[in-house]
Amino acid sequence: MSVRTYVLLLSALALGSAQASSEFADMAPEEILDRLIEDSSSAYLSQSPQNRQMMPDNPAYWVAEEGEELFSTPRGPNNVSLEGCDFGKGPGVLEGAYVELPRYFEDTGKVMDLETRLVHCMTTLQGFDKKDPAVKKRHGSGSDMMKLQTYIAMQSNGMEWNPPMDHPMEKAMRDAGEEIFYRRSGPMDFSCQTCHGTTGQRIRASVLPNINEPHEWTKAISWPAERAGHQNVRSTQHRVRGCLWQMRHPGIVAGSDASIALISYWTDAARGQPAILPDLKR
Amino acid sequence: MKKLTLSVSSFAALALSLTMANTAFAESQVDYTKMSSKDLAEHLLFKTNSFKIDQPVQEGGTAGARLVQDEMQKLCTEFRGKRPDPETAAKVSKMARESIRYPEGGIKLGDWKIGRELAWSGFGYRVGHRNDDHSKAANGPGGNCYNCHQLATDRTGGNLGPSLTGYGKLRGNSEAIQKYTYDVIYNPHSLFACTNMPRIGANGVLTQEQISHIMAYLLDPESPVNK
Repeated sequence: MSVRTYVLLLSALALGSAQASSEFADMAPEEILDRLIEDSSSAYLSQSPQNRQMMPDNPAYWVAEEGEELFSTPRGPNNVSLEGCDFGKGPGVLEGAYVELPRYFEDTGKVMDLETRLVHCMTTLQGFDKKDPAVKKRHGSGSDMMKLQTYIAMQSNGMEWNPPMDHPMEKAMRDAGEEIFYRRSGPMDFSCQTCHGTTGQRIRASVLPNINEPHEWTKAISWPAERAGHQNVRSTQHRVRGCLWQMRHPGIVAGSDASIALISYWTDAARGQPAILPDLKR
Repeated sequence: MKKLTLSVSSFAALALSLTMANTAFAESQVDYTKMSSKDLAEHLLFKTNSFKIDQPVQEGGTAGARLVQDEMQKLCTEFRGKRPDPETAAKVSKMARESIRYPEGGIKLGDWKIGRELAWSGFGYRVGHRNDDHSKAANGPGGNCYNCHQLATDRTGGNLGPSLTGYGKLRGNSEAIQKYTYDVIYNPHSLFACTNMPRIGANGVLTQEQISHIMAYLLDPESPVNK
């Protein structure tokens, strides 16, 4: 063959392998889900053809659009945008930031998830008071918090969950989260493992994800997601709160260290799998 | 030279600020990275304002008590859902059997129609952002049996536990079966050490009267479970 053909072939090969490592990043959420189902035949992943059908029209996209606008709008007493907020990969860098959370932040000395980091930037950079509705209202598609979270998380769609584990605090929180996950207590003697430790388990009609099956668990933790039955986009912290409520455990405080420890553990459990953002759930 | 005097109030203020500084010093010394993961987990649960532990709960007292593990919970946590070793199993089963309280006048079957509603109802004992008000439930908080078990075929049950469809039809109604059924519901660890099933009786989820209705739902030949 000619040198030109050879060079073209070589570059095609190089391009091909580069694309293979980011193949999910170019896919829509429902395409990622389809691939995961193909690779696993999981009852959990395939339990709702109706929800799968709705995904291209996910209302979360509208919420994210509003979030995009909010993000770049100068707001708060300091009248600055969130473009100066560091989510772990540098100020304003959103691509791939969400899948590397929770992580340790030097400026606060804490391991933080997206929600706590947003609260931090809104109060320190933008100067909002913690009690201001813009910061305090955490739930509902109409909240600033959900608009911003949905937009920011979407920038990590298809990327592999990869929370850093280099800092001792990151490891400490993740390991404590693991203890909490398996810890039985309360009037029902439940731990998270009671429901999420075995494949194919079902509460009534709902198939549960197994934390030991990464292709199931990546969908399980893909929040923000539109909850079809709630007609609202929900956050990771909302899911944690909901679980503990049903488990008959005490109410958890949003952004608390215990919640971050749990989120740290469960994100680590999905490591390497592609995130589906925004997702659509029952 | 001026005499330096301290008034009583300023001395008290100084003492207070020293105490507070001491406490702050002690708290800032809590280094998460130096604790075992178990110790850190307990610390996070109880000492970091992560939970609304002072919230009043339906059974009386405050929510923090629900985070305190008892002996069974501590022992069984170690196995993470797997079968415990025979020694631990024996210990857990023995504790469970000793916890069982039988009704005055003996075990009796109640009304399967009430049992049907109690088995379906997932209402009760939830706290936090929304608290279940038990005065709103006509038959009291539910047992939530359908969450984990298939029972009658007119409703969808879960599969975390075995199917109980035809429970009474398969086993009959003898005194032995009634006692067995009561034991499993009251404290399932008496027969299945470290089971995932809640201690419905021993934990006070359902009263003895409510259990009698659930038992009727399971064992009464007229119950849809056995049709």
